[in-house]
Amino acid sequence: MRTRLRFHWSLSQAGDPSRRARSLDQQSGVPPLAYQIELCRTAEHCGIDSMLMAIGYTRPDPLVLSIALGARTSRIRFMIACRSGLITPTYFVQQINTASTLLPGRICINMVCGHTPHELGYYGDFLEHDERYVRTAEFLAICRDLWTRPEPVTVDGRYYRIEDACVRTPMLAERGDRPEIFVGGNSPQAEDLAAEYGDCLWRFPDSDVVLAPRVRRVVDRGAEVGLLVSLICRPTRTEAADAAGALVGRFGAETRDVHRQFAANSDSTGFRAVYAAAASPSTAWLSRTLWTGAVPFLGAPAIALVGSYAEIAEAILGYREMGVTQFLFVGWPDVSEMQHFADGVKPLLGEAAGQAGSPAPAGIGPAGSLTR
Amino acid sequence: MTGTGAKFHWRLLQGGEGQGATRAAQNSARAAALPDLPAQIAFCAAAEQSGIDSVLVDLNFAKPDPVALTTALAVRTASLKFIVAARSGLLSPTLLTQQINTVSTLAPGRVSLNIVAGHSPAEQRTYGDFLPHDERYRRTDEFLAICHGLWERSGGVTFSGQYFRTEDAKLNTPFLGDARMPEIFIAGNSDESRRLAERWGTCWMRLADTPASTAAAVAPVLANGVAAGLRLSIIAAPSDEEARRNAASLVAGVARDDGGRERAFVGASDSVSIRQTFDLAESEWLTSCLWTGAVRSHGAPSIALVGGPETVAAGIHEFIRAGVSHFIFSGWPKLDSMLFFGRHILPRVRELEQAVTC
Repeated sequence: MRTRLRFHWSLSQAGDPSRRARSLDQQSGVPPLAYQIELCRTAEHCGIDSMLMAIGYTRPDPLVLSIALGARTSRIRFMIACRSGLITPTYFVQQINTASTLLPGRICINMVCGHTPHELGYYGDFLEHDERYVRTAEFLAICRDLWTRPEPVTVDGRYYRIEDACVRTPMLAERGDRPEIFVGGNSPQAEDLAAEYGDCLWRFPDSDVVLAPRVRRVVDRGAEVGLLVSLICRPTRTEAADAAGALVGRFGAETRDVHRQFAANSDSTGFRAVYAAAASPSTAWLSRTLWTGAVPFLGAPAIALVGSYAEIAEAILGYREMGVTQFLFVGWPDVSEMQHFADGVKPLLGEAAGQAGSPAPAGIGPAGSLTR
Repeated sequence: MTGTGAKFHWRLLQGGEGQGATRAAQNSARAAALPDLPAQIAFCAAAEQSGIDSVLVDLNFAKPDPVALTTALAVRTASLKFIVAARSGLLSPTLLTQQINTVSTLAPGRVSLNIVAGHSPAEQRTYGDFLPHDERYRRTDEFLAICHGLWERSGGVTFSGQYFRTEDAKLNTPFLGDARMPEIFIAGNSDESRRLAERWGTCWMRLADTPASTAAAVAPVLANGVAAGLRLSIIAAPSDEEARRNAASLVAGVARDDGGRERAFVGASDSVSIRQTFDLAESEWLTSCLWTGAVRSHGAPSIALVGGPETVAAGIHEFIRAGVSHFIFSGWPKLDSMLFFGRHILPRVRELEQAVTC
């Protein structure tokens, strides 16, 4: 049986769709709880699997925020981002396990290796890109041992040394004895990490010809591949294009500078590739639905699927043919985009999207009537 | 009453906590590793009603993580504060600050820190911390220097020490509270912990000793403008006799040294306070109401004031006159002992405080 498609959503700009247009130091670190709770509850109604809880110096801590939002929601899961340079594996497992006992079956992790050396230095992490992946592999190996082995764990590694470690607080996972592990990144190192220690690789989309072999490489090694992509879907292509135009229309040269700066400082393979595609007019559209036009204003995660409900559904099923089984969406703004997706696109995916989520709210006609 | 007088805190009820379980028994209980939210929320609500300022949320390998547990409890309670235990060997100071600040945005003014150095080398090694006692304090000094820099919010924090290095560190999530940074309780009886408290702390937290010894020990920190606090237990009842009977029955079921398990724990510990308290327990009564009878079976924090409300209130007031302004109490069972304290002892302590100030 083929893997059912699963959909996740980023919490990153809930309540502030212009967040990524501001300079990093100007982005608020105080969580807009009311909006975030609304987005999480909408996600529960829309059959979204989990919320991505990003990590970085501009944001609240994702573990703490997940527990707070979990208290105000009933079933949405939280995909908690973590970096190996910030915390010892034993204490990380203790924190994540505790979160799982507070929100049983609702915690998974997104292992990321950072994207900006300058920012990693805030946390005392001074390793270069490739070595961060080596350290993260060691980190995940220890975490997996702590989750799955009954006996105390002793490791004398290159980056970590622990003796007779055991974490008494158990991981209450949806299935098995460890959380689902997502790994973020576009580089070969990220692919290796996902294949060896993870369940699913998150990467940015690219043109089909570039993307297909990269997806195959990971899927053949037993991990899933998911796409981190923004979504602008409307009943018609014209409406979607208008929404995309309106999104970028309100930003000026200043926001371009924010992201020029960001791109210059980043050592992330994925971020660089998306910024590069966005820099050339010939690659503004990487496919009929994949658009990089918002990237100069809103950053690499603004690489977007733009189109009618039918076109987006077709694109998703196309990616599925390629081997992609999960999607992590970003919306501008989130709540209405999520509803467009749930009402317009999801019903067109048929059995591929399985039974996850609630049925479409009353009042929405057959999906076909919403598309031209 | 708020803002004046001593502050009273209680150790948080932990999962599966029985009536008077010994430390060894507690740690082996699977339930101790799990939050018990309904019981803990009820405990916190009772603390709010009992005039308790904060609950202490402990950290060790056998319990849920205190940052995560505090978050869950803080969003379900109204006014209680949480003293979150933290150690410098577990995470980057930037991340700890980010986590504490995030909790503060969810519960403004309701989070403070208890910096502990750890007491069991074997347990520290499970976290990857292999430093000996004195060096852990040096590392914690660097850790708190970075945390302080982040809380000051006066530009990026660049620090290059022996244990930590940051470059231009900053965080967009601020600490929300009465001050720019949380209250910091520094635990320990050693000179290293005292110096750390004088440098970075708002309060130096010791394990109880006689009021006279306590007064002598805390004088230097008070002179430096830092508060002094004590950890101890309360075994109280309507009468002195009943309280003493309760104390006796607490340890009646266990050998005085718990089959040697607590002795082995202390022997393997490099904590000055735990060793000092264990040694103090050579004499069962340090004063007419300060009892060490449970120390060798229930652990150092079980050094207790034992008596009726008048006796215990007077015992507390003696410590207040010795310069102590924060107390972190515990009792058996924790909830009942806290309720008894709030109802019968705290009002008497306030009267005694008033009598002195008027």
